[in-house]
This record gives sequence, structure tokens and C-alpha cells, in this order.
Amino acid sequence: MIHVVDIHKTFVVKDKKTRKKKTIDAVKGISFHVKPGEIYGLLGPNGAGKSTTLRMIAGLMEPQSGSITVFDHDAMTASEKVRRCIGFLSTDLGVYGRFTPRELLRIFGEFQGVDPKVAERRGMHMLERLDLTDFADVKMESFSSGQKQKVSIARALLHDPKAVLFDEPTTGLDVLTAKTVLDLLKIMKEEERAVIVSTHVMPMVEQMCDRVGIIFDGKLHGDAPPKEILSQYGVGTLDEVFFKLAADGGVA
Amino acid sequence: MKGVWLVFKKEILEFTKDRKTMFFTLAVPIILYPLLFGMIGKMGQREDQQARSSQTRIALIDPSNVIESLIQARTNDFTLVPAPEDDEKARQAIKDDQLEMLVTLGASAAQDMAEQKTVAVDVLYNRVEKTGRVAMKRLEDALRELNNATVQDRLQKLGASSQLAAPTSIQSRQVGGEELLLAKLLGTMLPYMLMLMLFVGSMQLGIYVTAGERERGTLITLLATGLPRHEIIWGKLLYVFFMGIVNSVINIGAMTFSMGTLFGGREVSDGYAAVAAEEAAQLSGIAAVVDPTVITLTLLLMIPLGLLFSNLIVFLGVQAKNTQEAGTSMMPVVLLVLFLGVFSMAPGIEKMGILPYIPIVNVSLVIRKLFAQQASVMEYLTAFCMTVGLAVLLTYISTKFLNRESAIFKST
Repeated sequence: MIHVVDIHKTFVVKDKKTRKKKTIDAVKGISFHVKPGEIYGLLGPNGAGKSTTLRMIAGLMEPQSGSITVFDHDAMTASEKVRRCIGFLSTDLGVYGRFTPRELLRIFGEFQGVDPKVAERRGMHMLERLDLTDFADVKMESFSSGQKQKVSIARALLHDPKAVLFDEPTTGLDVLTAKTVLDLLKIMKEEERAVIVSTHVMPMVEQMCDRVGIIFDGKLHGDAPPKEILSQYGVGTLDEVFFKLAADGGVA
Repeated sequence: MKGVWLVFKKEILEFTKDRKTMFFTLAVPIILYPLLFGMIGKMGQREDQQARSSQTRIALIDPSNVIESLIQARTNDFTLVPAPEDDEKARQAIKDDQLEMLVTLGASAAQDMAEQKTVAVDVLYNRVEKTGRVAMKRLEDALRELNNATVQDRLQKLGASSQLAAPTSIQSRQVGGEELLLAKLLGTMLPYMLMLMLFVGSMQLGIYVTAGERERGTLITLLATGLPRHEIIWGKLLYVFFMGIVNSVINIGAMTFSMGTLFGGREVSDGYAAVAAEEAAQLSGIAAVVDPTVITLTLLLMIPLGLLFSNLIVFLGVQAKNTQEAGTSMMPVVLLVLFLGVFSMAPGIEKMGILPYIPIVNVSLVIRKLFAQQASVMEYLTAFCMTVGLAVLLTYISTKFLNRESAIFKST
């Protein structure tokens, strides 16, 4: 179970024009919960605070206030334990180009405390599931974006995490690869993992997510199943919810 | 602490996967130094041989024939050429390699000599050229012979003892042999090379595993694992430190070996062929010259120094937004290291009382003294403890600092 309670995050940035420092409230009091076997969609435009929220849940960043617990581990005081039970997929498609997928998975398996032999077996199973077996021993520097994303997904799931955080998992992927990712999300739901997906691809959310939370200007608007959100805003699609929020400046 | 080892292992594996980097880091120094020094040695040897085998072309203005017959008698060393019309033309002729030297004696030289006055011998030559230096050496040898003969002749005429002109005679006995002189020379150069290699040798590799990871978008995947953040930093630190040491050992080893080749090939140094040959023999076996204890103590000093430098590299690397910024931010440190290295090579610096208490510089100083067999236990311990303390302090500060969110999450 993932509990996010009233978290705030502020960044200090330098204004290029005035050369003065200013604070930006990236996340302003977000709260939600995700149960095992549930896919939670975090929606929002670029810069809304989705990635920051996911990074705080993964124990990579600390909120200024509020609390986050992931399967009873506090994300601030026990961030290493949190990271061990989380599979985190970043928006960055960075992979270690000099390694082959087999090598990468073995190394990251060890990082996550998985026995090398088990990591190898699980890794190969993941690669098979993601249709990458033929590329298991090919250096990743020549991989396409889709192949890199698949390897990243395998890396994130290698240690059999109870919770999965996917930040924009289908961005830049072709239709077929995106479908593979979506199918995998369904399997993770069946495997009783708590899944949070951040995206701005609305059809995917409507199709996949049990509940959604819309982040706009650092605040969470709505925390309900997609259909409830639609009726709450009196519109037919989540895109329209977005437009409405944008028109109202996030006040609705 | 398992995470430190795992990250170190990952970095080493990644390094070995790039054959080009591995080749340029490990193999090139082994090939390059002997090649470079060998070439320089060969060229020097050829220049020496040319200078020695060819006669010195000397233009002599000696109206009263004080040294002309002496010069003519030395047919192996000199050949007389017509004297240029004036001093300016003589200068130009020397520059144009038409002659090596112009020697001028006054018209009354023979008379002065007979009256037991000192005869001035004016010599115009080019000291910059090897042939010029050889010419001067040959002339000095010839004049020394003339002087000795003249003095002995005068003493005989006076009925005085031949020892009158030599009130003292030096019979030297050396505490340290030639090998100590050479070890001292090595000790002067070594700290500079050591510092340079420790820093520059691992700088690019350090940038690759810090700012490079950020730039390639892999840093966040590493941070998202269950490894404690400080262990990730220490793992990278260990890798940069290890590569710095490996680089230094390879470079300095290859350089020392090649120096033997360089000096071993030279037969003459300003005419002192015997001394040069002896030096060459000593330098060829430089590894045997240096005391194993000195080597061990030097390597021991390299550990905290390497740790200090790797801390600086990792600190600046993680701080930078990208590899370009990391490279730029490290340049002042490279210059500082270069400065400290050159400073430590300066003659007589070991006599400055404050230096044993200045970090990094004291390491150079102790290495110099170790090779000259002059270092005291106290000096060594001071340098070692200060460097260890500084390295530990910097490790603590950089770990604390790099653990901060703002240091890790920067946009590229």
C-alpha cells in the first residue's frame, strides 16, 4: 500500500533575467493512496509536478512537509528500504550503452540485493516477455528508444517489487511497443502490485487506470475512477477535463 | 559497504567494455614513452656523434702565433678556416653554420706571454648549438694544456718546485655514489609526474562516471536502486582513485624505464664521455638504484594523495550539469596541480621551513627527500598524516554535499 499524505515540495531556482533566486512550489499538498492490485494514473501537463511526486515516493527526493509510506516504510527515514520494494522507471531513456541487457540486468539485480543467478534467470524471463531475447547479448548503444525502454522496464521489475512507479512509460514509443508496455501494466495489476503511472496520454489512462489523480499547478484535482472524474467535470473525455482546468487556472 | 564494491565493480566492467578508452589509458603510455624517449635518445645520440666526429672549424686571429701551432697540431679536433673580415660577419658565419668559433689574440700576445703577463683570448661562439659547446670544450682543453706547459716551464726557469703552482690538491671521496645523484634527480621529477598522473590520469574517467552518468540519464536509475547514496558515491570514488593509481604506476613505470633508454643511448655530454657513459649505465638500471623501501613509502603516500584528488574529481563531476561543465570546472584544479608540481621541482625548495606543513607540497618535498635519502621519520609522518586527514575530511565533506538533493538533481 502506498500512502501519500499532504506532501509539499519547493525548489529554489535562479531567475536568468534578474539573477535573483526564487522559490517555486512544485507540489502543493498532494494526498492519495494506492492499493496492491491497483493502477493509479497521475495525469498532468509537463511541469505539473508528476515526476517530482513520483521521485518523492521513490525516496529520491524529500518533501518539505507531509508523509509518504510505501508498504509500511517511511520514504524519508527508510528510503533505501522503500527503493528496494519499488520498481522505478524514469522518464530518461538512459541506459548503459556499453553493457548488454544481460549484463545490465545482472548488475542491477546485485544492486537490488538479488542473487546473480536469480537475477540472470529473472532478467532473461523479462527479456523474453518483452520480446528482446535475441538482443540479450547485444551492446545497448545501438538500441532504438523502444528497445531501451523495454530494457529499462526489465531493470525496474527485476527485483520483483511490490510497487511500481512508471514515469511516462509510453512517451516516444511506437504503437506496438506502447502496447507491450500496457500489457505489462495489466500483468502487474494481476500480480497484485501497486502501480502508479504518470502520463499525459489520456486514452491510456481511461483504458488502464482504476483511479486517476489530475495534477495541475502542483495540486491534485480529483482522486477517483476515470468515469467519476468525467462526470464530476461534466465532460466526455479526460482531455476536456484538462482544457477545463487550464481555462479555470486550476481552480475548478 | 557491499554497495561500494558493487558500484566499483560496475564502473570497472564498464571501463573494460570500451576498448578504445582501455587502450588509450593502459596501453598507450607503455608504447608511447619508450617510443618517444627512444626517438629523443636516438636523435641526441646522432647529434653527439656528429659533434664529436666532425672537426671544429676555427677562425684564428693570432698575429704573434701564440696558439696557432697548438691548434694546427690538434688535427682531430680543429681545422683552420679563414677569418671573416669583421666581427659582424663572423657572427653571421657562426649563425649560418660556416664555422664554429672565432678566436682572437692581440698583436702583443707573444710579448705579453714572454713578460709573464696574462694573455687575453677572445672567443666568439654559439653556446646554443651542440657543435659550439664541443668547440669551446676542445679549445679549453687545448689552452689548459698550453697553460700547464707554460707554468711548468716558468717554474723550471725560476728553479722552483712544480708544486708551487698547485698549493692544494683535491682528493674527493663521495658519501653517495652516482646512483644517489640520479635518485635525487628522479626524486625531483617524480612528485610532479605523480601529481599530474594521479589527477589528469583519472580526470576524464571521473567525469564519465559522474557528470557523464547525469548527461546520459543513467544516474537516476542508479540512485533508484536500494543502494545507499553514500555507497554509490564511495563506489565511484574508489573507481576514480583506483584508476588514478593504476594510471600513475603505468605512466611513471613506463617513463622511468624509457628514461634509461634515453640516457643509455647517449655517449657524450659536452665532451665528458666517460661520465656520461657512467650516468647512462646508472640510469639504465634505475629500478635497481632506488631502494625498495623508498618505493614502498612513496606508494604509501600516493594512497591519501590519490584519495584527495579523486574526491576533488568526483565532487566537481557530480556538481557539474554535464561533461563539458565538469571539464571546464576541473581546469583550474589541473593548473593548480601543475603549479604545485613545478613548484616542488624548484631547486633549493627543500630548505624552506614552512613547506613541511603545507598540504600536497609536503608530499612532494618528502618524496624528493626520500629519493635523496634525506627524509626524516617526522617529516614523512607529518606529510602522511596531514594528507590522510585532508583526504578523510574531503571525503566526509563531499559525501555530505553530494548526498544533497540539489547536487544530484540538476538539469543537463
